[in-house]
Amino acid sequence: MGADQLDPLIHAPTRLRIVATLAALSDGDTLSFSRLQDMLELTPGNLITHLRRLDDAGYIDTEKTGSGSTSLTTATLTHKGRSALDAYSAALRDLIAGL
Amino acid sequence: MNGEDEAPETATTEEGDPLDPSAAAALFEQTRRRAQRQLDIRPPLAMLLGAVLVLVDYGGIWLSVRGQHPYTGPSPTALVVVYTIVFVGIAVIAVAFRRATSGIRGRSSRQRRAAGITFATIWVLNYVFAGALNVAGVSPAIAYGLYPAAGPLIIVGSAVAAYEAAREEWGWSALALAVVALAALAAYAGPANVWGVIGLGFSLLLLARAASLIWHRPLPAWARTDGR
Repeated sequence: MGADQLDPLIHAPTRLRIVATLAALSDGDTLSFSRLQDMLELTPGNLITHLRRLDDAGYIDTEKTGSGSTSLTTATLTHKGRSALDAYSAALRDLIAGL
Repeated sequence: MNGEDEAPETATTEEGDPLDPSAAAALFEQTRRRAQRQLDIRPPLAMLLGAVLVLVDYGGIWLSVRGQHPYTGPSPTALVVVYTIVFVGIAVIAVAFRRATSGIRGRSSRQRRAAGITFATIWVLNYVFAGALNVAGVSPAIAYGLYPAAGPLIIVGSAVAAYEAAREEWGWSALALAVVALAALAAYAGPANVWGVIGLGFSLLLLARAASLIWHRPLPAWARTDGR
């Protein structure tokens, strides 16, 4: 198995950090966009780009409630995303063991 | 909740540099540990602070009641000092808790809030009951000594132990059970010394828990062999 076998959606520095951070939440919890941005020290534009990629793949769920000054965007890792991260972690372990 | 959560639509296409497996593993582990540390509501540091608070509070009362014959209870000065320290400690912990849980919504935060309110209510009602003991003419050794020192820890500790066991948080459940056992056994030391025994014992249990949390920090995800 080579590095090209790793899930390309997760195997990118920013998305790996996003998924790893959301995986630290308890099952069923969501994290606000602003807290996630603060934890990862990313620009809003950069974060939203990668969140969209992960959302489109079904790895995360994003939800926007309210509008204008009262809006809140939240993100959570889906079961599919958690499974993908587990598989990615296992693949990474196998790769490192083979080095 | 507020405007700062509104994300502008100025997306970039940044993908980041390619990662080799070792760099990916290191980044994954670093991010995971950092996130856990930032989201942790019961870090070892909180246990150390709790240990100091317990030792100062129970120890302070013990210093004010030791040698009393007959036992009359803590002095008003000692109670003022103790309650001041308790409120300062609660405020510090509340700020740290709010910081750790900022931006988190969902089932776990609702459960924590409900559990916190329940345990705090039980704790306060214990002191209401201790007041009733005094009104009923029970001796100060019980109304101001054995019961307020050990009773709340036995009752709230039992509730916490059951709650944590239901969540399969065995380490926290064991800590709560150990506190219950400590409080029950410390009562044999008498109305004055019960404060000192609980202060020292509870403090040591919190220090042991802090050491256990540090010792059992999880291995890197990519280094585990159990698939978790």
